[in-house]
Amino acid sequence: MPKVILTVPFSLMLLALPALGQSALRAPSSVSAGSSFSIATSGTGTAMLYLLGPSHVVKRAIELGQDLPIAGSDVVASGWYQAVACESGGCTSTTFQVLPSSPARLRFLVHPSRVPVSAPDAINATALVFDRFENTVLERTNVEFHFFSAAGSAFDRSVPTVRGIAWLQIGSTSKQGPLRVVASVGEAAEARIIQQVASEACGLRIQAISGPRTVKLQTDPVRDCGGNPLPDGTVVSFTKIDDAGRSTVDTPIRKGVASAQFAVSGRARISVACGVVLGNEISVNGERR
Amino acid sequence: MTTKLHLACCLGVLVPCLSLVSFYDVAASPVEAGSLPRVRLNAESIGPRRIEQKTGEMVARDYAQAWQDLADSLEANRTDLLNDHFAGGAKERLTQRISEQKKNGLRTRYVDHGHQVKAVFYSPDGGEMQLQDQAQIELQVFGGQKMIYTASTTSKYLVLMTPGADRWYVRSLETVPDDAF
Repeated sequence: MPKVILTVPFSLMLLALPALGQSALRAPSSVSAGSSFSIATSGTGTAMLYLLGPSHVVKRAIELGQDLPIAGSDVVASGWYQAVACESGGCTSTTFQVLPSSPARLRFLVHPSRVPVSAPDAINATALVFDRFENTVLERTNVEFHFFSAAGSAFDRSVPTVRGIAWLQIGSTSKQGPLRVVASVGEAAEARIIQQVASEACGLRIQAISGPRTVKLQTDPVRDCGGNPLPDGTVVSFTKIDDAGRSTVDTPIRKGVASAQFAVSGRARISVACGVVLGNEISVNGERR
Repeated sequence: MTTKLHLACCLGVLVPCLSLVSFYDVAASPVEAGSLPRVRLNAESIGPRRIEQKTGEMVARDYAQAWQDLADSLEANRTDLLNDHFAGGAKERLTQRISEQKKNGLRTRYVDHGHQVKAVFYSPDGGEMQLQDQAQIELQVFGGQKMIYTASTTSKYLVLMTPGADRWYVRSLETVPDDAF
């Protein structure tokens, strides 16, 4: 049995079927997707040819003993095909393989769509390489990844495919703004945009303007450690602890800063936080009620 | 791995043995999928993302179900049977194949003798999984009631699966040369 598997292409064992008398089909062992070719036949008379592929079936009457032209459009899907010729006496067959043609298309996936700046290995890019008929190109092919940041910097990576897939993982850059990622193979190129956003706040500080019974608070411009301003809408929490107890106000950043106002009674400690970052703490004195 | 496990257990090295068992379950993911076509999934060499045991079970089950649907649809010439487990290019190709074989009075029977599947790529974001399948299949093609072709094959398939809301879909199913893997 192992000998049969080794000697028959595609590890394929044809089982007994009534065969045409002296006729036979002979196809090239492999052809490129979309390429026309011929199947040689022997014998005489007419028969019905069936061409069976992964996505296509052809049925047509043929004259045995002549070469059968097969159009490229009949073999666009890569994989194994069976050509079967039948007449009243039975059928004969041959198999051949259609291989992907050259790389012509890309499917490109980038994750995530938003990413904090300066995050190591936060961006994943996966490119799948196909020929013009959407067959996976199995031959090793280099995919070029080009990165263009909003700050004007650009860098490239070249990654070879393995079984039609090339992927890489990189960190985000230090400046916020769109990061354009382009994957290309030959003439085919696909672009994606990743929005790089400010990371966690850094050096968060508040200033206070005290009145007799109230205190107005405002942060300095809230930025991350790379100097990128945190987007408006990011929530900043102010917490006051005084004789009246503990009180917290959550307020969004507007025009780069966050502000709040507390009523205070006696000595109060006020702190600020944004996400996982704690800012400075200040003490104020208000009139006791 | 199995030999190491047995050796460790025989030596009575309990703690290392338990940790190896845990690793093996996640990494190798040997899964048999019910009464469907026999699918044995090995995810030992998957990367760059590792596979959870539950995910491995789901992929094996959905892949087996996809083959069941494929066989049923090609034999009955019903494209609607492809809706549950196929998507994208795989679905388009099979739909076209079924439509054309129906038009030409043909049907195809797959007698499925099982799949040795190796998961080789799982994208970091979990959005794509590539499988290599070595399938034992008996293929029978009928013109009306007459069998016009039959062959018993060991075919190699390169498969791309993507997750949906509650299952994994076969997005690409391509036969590849014997030496592809």
